[in-house]
Amino acid sequence: MAGEQLALTVFMAVLLVAIVAVLTRLEDWRSYTPLAGGGGVGYGDEATHGHEEKPGGLVRWLTTVDHKDIGILYGTFAIISFAVGGIMAFLIRVQLVVPSGAIVENAFYNSIMTSHGITMLFLFGTPIIAAFANYFIPLLIGADDMAFPRINAIAFWLLPPAALLIWAGFFVPTIDPAQTAWTMYTPLSIEQSMFGIDLMLLGLHLSGVSATMGAINFIATIFTERGEDVNWATLDIFSWTMLTQSGLILFAFPLLGSALIMLLLDRNLGTTFFTVGGGGPVLWQHLFWFFGHPEVYILVLPPMGIISYVLPKFSARKLFGFKFVVYSTLAIGVLSFGVWAHHMFTTGIDPRLRASFMAVSLAIAIPSAVKTFNWITTMWNGRLRMTAPMLFCIGFISNFIIGGVTGVFLASIPIDLVLHDTYYVVGHFHYIVMGAIGFAAFAGLYYWFPIFTGRMYQRTLAKWHFWLSMVGTNLTFFAMLVLGYLGMPRRYASYEFDGAIAPLAQVTTWHQIASLGALLLLAGSVILVWNLVQSWLEGPVVETGDPWNLEADNMKGRDFAWFEQKLKRERAITDGGEESSEDDSEPR
Amino acid sequence: MSLLGFERETLLDLTVNVIPMAIIVFFIVGFGVVPAFGVDPVLTTVQYSLLLVPLAALAVLTYYAGKVVERDEGNHQEAADAASE
Amino acid sequence: MNEQSGLSDQYKRASPWPLFVALGLALSEIGVFVGVFPVAVFGLLLFGGSVAGILTESGYTERPWSALVALGATLAVAGVVLIGWQVPVDQLTLENFGRNGILSRSLSLVAAGLTMAVAGAVAAAVEQTKH
Repeated sequence: MAGEQLALTVFMAVLLVAIVAVLTRLEDWRSYTPLAGGGGVGYGDEATHGHEEKPGGLVRWLTTVDHKDIGILYGTFAIISFAVGGIMAFLIRVQLVVPSGAIVENAFYNSIMTSHGITMLFLFGTPIIAAFANYFIPLLIGADDMAFPRINAIAFWLLPPAALLIWAGFFVPTIDPAQTAWTMYTPLSIEQSMFGIDLMLLGLHLSGVSATMGAINFIATIFTERGEDVNWATLDIFSWTMLTQSGLILFAFPLLGSALIMLLLDRNLGTTFFTVGGGGPVLWQHLFWFFGHPEVYILVLPPMGIISYVLPKFSARKLFGFKFVVYSTLAIGVLSFGVWAHHMFTTGIDPRLRASFMAVSLAIAIPSAVKTFNWITTMWNGRLRMTAPMLFCIGFISNFIIGGVTGVFLASIPIDLVLHDTYYVVGHFHYIVMGAIGFAAFAGLYYWFPIFTGRMYQRTLAKWHFWLSMVGTNLTFFAMLVLGYLGMPRRYASYEFDGAIAPLAQVTTWHQIASLGALLLLAGSVILVWNLVQSWLEGPVVETGDPWNLEADNMKGRDFAWFEQKLKRERAITDGGEESSEDDSEPR
Repeated sequence: MSLLGFERETLLDLTVNVIPMAIIVFFIVGFGVVPAFGVDPVLTTVQYSLLLVPLAALAVLTYYAGKVVERDEGNHQEAADAASE
Repeated sequence: MNEQSGLSDQYKRASPWPLFVALGLALSEIGVFVGVFPVAVFGLLLFGGSVAGILTESGYTERPWSALVALGATLAVAGVVLIGWQVPVDQLTLENFGRNGILSRSLSLVAAGLTMAVAGAVAAAVEQTKH
């Protein structure tokens, strides 16, 4: 024991010395010149800087505070997490092909089910949104960068350690992973002794700190860094949804952080916040879902913004009822904090309170439905161009309708009492998180791929990806809705139950259908990753600043206007010509 | 017509948030007319607060958002048209 | 610009600090919460040092030392307060270090805090005498 401590101490000391050495090589601490008034933007005086913006190679990516680079980092991280979470999901589906469980032990099933949820929500969903937002919010609102570029970088660099902690149970041989499900309900999460839970909670806490820092940054950026001609009347729809989302994060994530700390204290230091004799296990559910329900909207509002932004581009029509979408986004933001206990209808809370939560849950369906009508009316009589991003937008709307309508049923107490903890719930929220949020992420990836990489993706592969994802999503998650109606409980690693609970033959068949869909989704995702990587490396270089030909419909936004200017600047430099004066200024 | 100092166009835009508010009001009235689970000083207060707080918060946010957007619209009418594309 | 100028002077959009602020925060969280003394101390040192560095780089303080002293003092005081509040006096023995969870964790705060404060003070003094 003492030897281990000593070894660890030496290791940490060497690490620290190495870091100091690296820093002294990279940085000259004496050269720092204090800013007059310590301005919020935090860049030094530009006159003292060199001409180049970034160092080369790996150092560039480790030290960047440029919002575009950080966006790319977020995106890469999110895609890796998507792969990890996706493989876990696929293992889950393979396991459930036969009632006895096909491939893994029950304990491992529980672990990957827990980690799948947490990975997809915290390590894929939030970061992929941050990827788009970091890259494009400053471009869309005419800002030079985010309000706090360094905080932006800190927020990103908290994520890799968070991911390592969350996944630690899988790759550190002596640590067992958590088996709590992503909701981490007490008392189970207090009683389970595996060390993986503590590490996972710490990782979640770090990811929460990261999200909060990002949110503060986006709020500050959108409020204070707008270009001269961007005001609240001209702010684009994606920035509106990001602003609302950041507001939600600001209220929701610190609460999650506190609740996680309380859970850690309960586990390690003998406090009684969530114990039966103390605060009670249901207190955890209240705190968790007061975060957890806004989290759902944290994840879905910016994708709605992406859809509202991209859909009109390929419909050749303005977004129908732009203001409706803005105000209903704000409405969702407010109401999302008043519905948390609809996850807890079966916990025995007072029926009067239950009724109130049902009322607000039904009310919050309206702003979402309004958006759906807006998207459909935007496409109505439009000149639709079925590019890959457009296909994903339409897929989003289709899946969102199914996911949304099933949600309205669940908001109703009597129906929820029957369907609670069945696969119906799983099907419902996967239609939203995969069918809607995932699809919007893909739409954004394809739409902005030329800006990210300067190259075009392979269109045929993208369409394969879309159709496999669309069919796969609907096979898998519609089968889950049916399984729920049949009474299949969620979270089970095997389902060899007797006929009184559910008809085993049908349940098995629908599970197999769901797994078939998962196979299609896997194939689609492999195509996506292949397409992204290969096209990035050797796709056709985009020559025009308007690869989508949006100019013809008068639909070109600030993002591609910026891209066009960038191409022009680069061309001027490679041609050896002097930059013309109009190119010097960033496009507004 | 200028209800609450809003122009007609803005009022029309804001109706989108009046609908969820109306649903909440409907339930407030409904629970008032039919108190199906009895009345308890604490729980009934919580029950109505859970409806009234989101209602009030939504109303306030909608009002201010409408005000701010309308103010900025007056400044940049042409720009507004360009941005909502 | 002189030849030895650092990375964040040479390049407008680069800073070496954010990575280490994040790493320091992650290590100190693990160290303090899991109760691994060395990880806690070095994590906190890395975190405090990087925060002082990034504050200086972005111009919020003129030199990093005062920030380092302030951070270190805060940590040390927090650790002492935690011990005074949660650990009975008769348990303040050397054997209990490593057994009493709160004592070890608080001591890691004190150790890191004192190191930081002393380092900051010494560096400031050295710099004073040089000039």
